[in-house]
Amino acid sequence: MTLNHDDWGKVARMMSKRSLWMVHFCTGCGAMEMPPVMTSRYDMERFGMHAMATPRQADVFLVTGYLAVKTLKRVVQVYEQMRDPKYVIGFGSCTINGGMYWDSYNTIKDLSKYIPVDVYIAGCMPRPEAIIDSFLKLMDMIDKGEAIGWKKYHKYYDQYKKNQRMAYAYRLDEVEDIKEDDAK
Amino acid sequence: MIVEVLAILLGTAFLMLALNKFPKIAGTIAFFVSLLPFLAVLSWAGQMGINIPSYLNLLHFESMATYNLGAGSLLLEITPLGWFFLLLLASLFPMVMLYSVSFVRENAGGFYAAMLMTMLGTFGIILAKDMLTFFLFWEIMSWSIFALVLRGHDRRAIVSYLAFGSMSAMLILFGFMILYYDTDTLLFAHMHLAPTRLNLVALSMIVAGFAVKGALMPMHVWAPHAYSKSEEPFVAFLSGGLSKLGYFGMMLFMYSVAGMGLLASWGTFRDVSWFGYSLAVVGAFTAFAGTILAVMQDDLRKLLAYSSIGQLGYIAIGMGIGTPLAITGALFQALNHTFFKAVLFLAAGAVYYRTGKWKISELGGLGYRMPFTFLASLFAIFALAGIPITSGFAAKWLLYEAAIEKKFLFVTPIMLIAGVGAFLYAYKILYGVFLGEPRYDVKEAPLGQLVAMWILVLPLVIFLVFPGWVADMAAPILKEYGMQAIPHTPFVITTSLGVYNTLAVIFGIIGTLLLALVLYKWKPQEVVPHEDNYLAGEPPELYENISMHAAYKYYEPFEEVFLPYFRSGAEKLWEVVLYAGEILGTGARKIYTGMVEDYTMYILLFFIILIGWWLLW
Amino acid sequence: MVDFFALGEQILVMAFLVTLGYAIGMFFNGFARKITARIHNRVGPPIYQGYIDVFKLFGKKTNISHGWIFDLAALFSIAGITLVFLFLPVAGFSMLSTDGDLFLILYLLAIPALGFALGAGASGNPNAAVGIMRALMTMLAYELPLVMVIVAMMVHYNTTSLAGIVAAQSNMHWAIFLPVFLIGAIVADMALQGMLMEKPFDIPIAPHEIATGPMVEFGGKHLGALMLYKMMGIVVETTLFVDLFLGGGVILSVAQYGWLAYVVNFLVWFGLITFVFFLALLINAVFPRFRIEQALKFYWKYDALVALLILIWIFVEVST
Repeated sequence: MTLNHDDWGKVARMMSKRSLWMVHFCTGCGAMEMPPVMTSRYDMERFGMHAMATPRQADVFLVTGYLAVKTLKRVVQVYEQMRDPKYVIGFGSCTINGGMYWDSYNTIKDLSKYIPVDVYIAGCMPRPEAIIDSFLKLMDMIDKGEAIGWKKYHKYYDQYKKNQRMAYAYRLDEVEDIKEDDAK
Repeated sequence: MIVEVLAILLGTAFLMLALNKFPKIAGTIAFFVSLLPFLAVLSWAGQMGINIPSYLNLLHFESMATYNLGAGSLLLEITPLGWFFLLLLASLFPMVMLYSVSFVRENAGGFYAAMLMTMLGTFGIILAKDMLTFFLFWEIMSWSIFALVLRGHDRRAIVSYLAFGSMSAMLILFGFMILYYDTDTLLFAHMHLAPTRLNLVALSMIVAGFAVKGALMPMHVWAPHAYSKSEEPFVAFLSGGLSKLGYFGMMLFMYSVAGMGLLASWGTFRDVSWFGYSLAVVGAFTAFAGTILAVMQDDLRKLLAYSSIGQLGYIAIGMGIGTPLAITGALFQALNHTFFKAVLFLAAGAVYYRTGKWKISELGGLGYRMPFTFLASLFAIFALAGIPITSGFAAKWLLYEAAIEKKFLFVTPIMLIAGVGAFLYAYKILYGVFLGEPRYDVKEAPLGQLVAMWILVLPLVIFLVFPGWVADMAAPILKEYGMQAIPHTPFVITTSLGVYNTLAVIFGIIGTLLLALVLYKWKPQEVVPHEDNYLAGEPPELYENISMHAAYKYYEPFEEVFLPYFRSGAEKLWEVVLYAGEILGTGARKIYTGMVEDYTMYILLFFIILIGWWLLW
Repeated sequence: MVDFFALGEQILVMAFLVTLGYAIGMFFNGFARKITARIHNRVGPPIYQGYIDVFKLFGKKTNISHGWIFDLAALFSIAGITLVFLFLPVAGFSMLSTDGDLFLILYLLAIPALGFALGAGASGNPNAAVGIMRALMTMLAYELPLVMVIVAMMVHYNTTSLAGIVAAQSNMHWAIFLPVFLIGAIVADMALQGMLMEKPFDIPIAPHEIATGPMVEFGGKHLGALMLYKMMGIVVETTLFVDLFLGGGVILSVAQYGWLAYVVNFLVWFGLITFVFFLALLINAVFPRFRIEQALKFYWKYDALVALLILIWIFVEVST
């Protein structure tokens, strides 16, 4: 029996699902639910997950709640500093549809418009059980090769960049400029 | 033959003054003349039992003779000890001159003239056969250095060099006078010193005088100022080369003139003479304190100056212990220090040449801009820190072995911790100057400077592979002192306690580096720009003057801990000495009351004491 | 004429031992996390977590570098630490340890550290620079008591060779059974805590203050190489301790028992380094972190004071 490239990929996926190092962006209130997940009550280290200090070292990116337009810039920067393969988990309803900030002028409504999100956790806020469940779901997806957000980001890079620039724009003429650029 | 060399050096020095307006031409001529001493050293190699190819032996200096100059005579002779030190200085000197060609602009003729005069003095000191010749050339060298220090236009450096230089000369001269009084001869070879207290005082004075040039604490006060305020090629020669003359003098008088037996006659402790023991303790203290002070400096030249003081302390330790192992170690350390310190000062000069900055906190990121300067100084720093991929380790290892062999329980940890401290300031240079945020868009240093630096790196590599060669060179010196050479082959040095096999280290490092390379090249990588850093946000582009270079007050916690103990430094000590002298002087002046009756009284008292002494005797 | 067969055999044995060393190092990573988790009343990761992590890091699809100086970090750290391992007597088996001595090992330990520092500095990240400053200062701090104890041992056994010290402790004459070196072992164990960068001396890493300090810009294979360096570092440092105080784990003489002695000695050595590391973990799991000047004061005031007593003891012993 010989191992072909695909089999190696399978092994690599197997390893990477058991060793998900995460970096969490904890400006949102969902970050409050992380300490119980990490500590002895729920202990995510059972699955080899570990909080890391910098995006360079991390595999999973947790966006724990609402994102203002200003923080989105930093989120994108952190995401781009992470190395492939990388995965994103969106926390709570804020990342899905804006949640209680649905009509705010300076928060973003749908995170997956700006960076590819692999798993969303519903709830305001999600309980630790839900977070653990999302981790298991992500691991399952990695194993099956379904967590391909990072590939999507490479493929639709221009689209994502355009969305990001639209979000950063705070004057009408800037939006016009972006549309003009896009038309070219 | 040798007088011709001296005359050429002197003549060229005068010629340089005439060529003041043409720095490049003057520099080139000075460079070619400066090769002469090196050729002379090569031609004497045969006499030292070292075989060199005949095409290197251009001058054919076979023997030495006495030269009668008018009324007096100039007595010159080459000894194994002198040959070793002359080798160091003569191989450093041409490279320094080569570097100067592109570095020195202002009043270049004066610079080259003074440099050639220092070399002339060095030549005479090392070849001197008697005390008079020695002292004559010592003064030539000292005053040429003074001329070069004057070029720095720094009052503190000039005054402190003048004060300590004259103190050194006075101490040496008084010592010589006492020795002459005791032995009635000026020739080193004819001196047979008696184990008297007076001779102990004389030797101590001579060693203290040489300690000034060798920058041993507490005689080092002039060194940081003179090293940090003069031109770099000269400082490289002063720190790397001329400071060795102090240790040459110490070695000459402690072991060639006085000898082990005499030193031991003043008391020994575990077969180490108390005289040597105290020198070793002073050396260890210098190594430690110099290192701590070096860590706290922000000026690149000051840092290198203090590090130089610390590293020279190791030589004093080896000379103090005085076993074959220790003397070989001291000579090896002298050799290493000559080259790595010269490279570091020259690299600092190259950095200044391109950026115009001396402060470490204002530099940064030059590693990618000046890669060859960076690699040369990286190598020198490895040698300085004693990392075993340069020859720096073997010297330190010999000294540690010598200390453990003589059961120096309290000195050895100080030496070792000073070695660890060297990593701290070594990294400060590396990070502050060459790594971190690139802040200057500069070119690589000029070719002449690079060539000079890289040629000086060569010995560090050669003696990594063949540490036994230094033991070979030390063997005739040890034989002169009636000691056995340490057991060695070119690659392996053995002591009673341990073994150092350089081949194992070299092949080990090559093998493991290959292993690491395989592991490392497995995966492709991309190079990102420097700005792409994780800073928990983004680099503050908006504020141009905010620096991401963390080199300002780099070792602040260290300073917080150590500064209270080092605040009242050696300068305070000398101030106390000055104050005491002032009080004594004022007290002594009160004798002169201006009254005739008092003076008559003094004369009377003097005669009473004289007669009383005569009667009681 | 060089005996190529013997040389080849020696290289093979070395390669085997280095592989084993890395395997043990990776095991220690999972072991440490498991033990810490159990003390925290958690379940903790599986004990083979270290292998998975390293494999994952080397399997990352993209890697970034900050230039060729940055790459030196990975090269020097792996090469240096492997070289140190080769110069250590492992379970009484000497690979290259007859060609160098304890001073060489102390200075070889600086190669990976300085190489790592070079790479971290080249990244241009201020956190990395601060981390390296802390690492070097911690090194200065713990080296003083450590070298004092080591010098005392060298003078006592009258050899500077680590293999010689191990040989002098054969037949169960372990240094730790002498009262003076029992104290010495405690002093050195404190120093070991700093060497292993475990709490309360994990000042250089400090993930919550300076974002893992020197490692802040390392990811993918670079981080993998550094993890290997750290894991091998644990093996090297604990082995150094075991060689110095616990006779290198040698309980059977090779001359008498042949290959059985190698196996038994290896197992004993493995048990002892695990135990030494376990002690460090126990301290690590319950302590907060010192500030850097506190660490310096701890080592230079208290630890070094006890080490000074040992030096005086040996001084008296040598003088009489």
